[in-house]
Amino acid sequence: MKLPIRLSVTLLLAGSLAAGAAAAATPDFAAARAAILAHYAAAAHKADPNFKAFSAAAGRSFFLAHPAGARPATPSCSYCHTTDPRNQGRTRAGKTILPMAISRTPSRFTKLSKVRLWFRRNCQSVYRRACTAQEKGNYITFMASQ
Amino acid sequence: MPARLRALIDRIAPMPGGPSLPVWPWTVRAFHWSLVLCVAVAAATGFLGGMSALSLHLAAGIAIPVLILLRIGVGLFGPGYARFDSFPPSPRAALEHLENIRGGRHERHLGHNPAGALMVYAMLAVLLLIVLTGTAALAGMFRQGPFRSFIGFDTGWLIYGLHQPLAWLLVAMIAAHLWGVWFESRRGHENLVAAMIHGRKAADPPAPPPPRRRAMPWLAAGSGIGAVGVLTLIVLRASAAPASGLPPAKLDHTYAEQCGSCHTPYSPVLAPASVWRQLMGDLRHHFGEDASLGDPALHQRILGYLLANSAEHADTLVSHMMMRRDPADPMRITATRFWQFMHGGIPARVFARKKVGGRSNCDACHRDAQSGRFLPENIEIPESAE
Repeated sequence: MKLPIRLSVTLLLAGSLAAGAAAAATPDFAAARAAILAHYAAAAHKADPNFKAFSAAAGRSFFLAHPAGARPATPSCSYCHTTDPRNQGRTRAGKTILPMAISRTPSRFTKLSKVRLWFRRNCQSVYRRACTAQEKGNYITFMASQ
Repeated sequence: MPARLRALIDRIAPMPGGPSLPVWPWTVRAFHWSLVLCVAVAAATGFLGGMSALSLHLAAGIAIPVLILLRIGVGLFGPGYARFDSFPPSPRAALEHLENIRGGRHERHLGHNPAGALMVYAMLAVLLLIVLTGTAALAGMFRQGPFRSFIGFDTGWLIYGLHQPLAWLLVAMIAAHLWGVWFESRRGHENLVAAMIHGRKAADPPAPPPPRRRAMPWLAAGSGIGAVGVLTLIVLRASAAPASGLPPAKLDHTYAEQCGSCHTPYSPVLAPASVWRQLMGDLRHHFGEDASLGDPALHQRILGYLLANSAEHADTLVSHMMMRRDPADPMRITATRFWQFMHGGIPARVFARKKVGGRSNCDACHRDAQSGRFLPENIEIPESAE
């Protein structure tokens, strides 16, 4: 009768561990994203002392805008990501891009180095300049609302 | 055999009226028509089929030497007119035969006449040469097949230059063979095509009798099948031997991760070092987008990997052709003449398919794109239009 008890304890332990890991995954992403947003908020505040908060609406128009100076290959963010960030996007070379919306891709905006890399590249491609901290924060806030 | 099939064959290949003699045993007839089928498939796929038909072309090219080996067994130990010594290759006899025809002297041969015999041997020799040159081409271009470990691209390409002229020579020989069959049928008032189907010829007018040597069916079959077995073992072993000059089978993980997030990670074999250097030299303007890595160590590592495995380091058709860039647009793979030649037959709507994703998305159709091999057998074009 020893084995079943041991077995049930093991199963219980493994089960609770798995449940804990599953529960921990989402908050981790949220915390990491909050930290990145805080990073951009601090930078935005430094650039403009009147900075209050990021705006999802401003992020949306930034995402959909066709800036006059955009490189011909990349006229807007939505050109590759589609106008609905909950959709899968597609690079010009035919590769699938996972949705930018947090509801569809929870791991978005959780690693600062990756966020920096892609803002740097894609801002240069679409806006032909570095984006401001305000614009980046707005963008992330918009994606988090989707 | 069902009666209806029998009746059909009798209609296509009517038996000679009056008494007849067995001339062609079933082995010879089966060989002849199987060879016709294989040569037809090889010719159709080779002359018209393009790369996507290569698998079928190779299948025919494998079947042909197998058939010839089996025929040699029958030729050495088989019955009567099937035996090589019943129709020795003799140019002098062949000329004499042609001379007789010109002089209006009719001489009947139940088996192959001397001119036909010479043509049989010549066609078999040319067929074997075609198979050998094709095998060498396969080794040189794709590093596949029994010659893969010792024939590189330059040699294979050179030998490939003989493959098609030999095929045209065979076409001319087949035409001469058909003309000969037609001419002799008319001259002798007998249907030689029908004889190759049912195997019999009229007993009259009399002809020299078949060689009286006893057939050894077991030896005939055993030697042929044995030779096929030995050759198969040799070919399998040689085809599994390591070949030099292959691109790296697997891509570097960092390279694939970094460059593969926007486009299919192209095998380094697809460009010469000069192109990789130029391309990595300005990632800020990378085909219209900013693809800079922002990390000098990472940049150096990826550049090093590309240079160490560039087209110069491999020895395949793809690697050699990818070194020939368009001087006006050296960066673009799709601007090379080779790419355009190989993809010329594919309509634009195929590239527009969602599952294909454009001309630059190699691995949508080439399952082995990342290995840089691009073997014709690994092409699979997504069919659905969405």
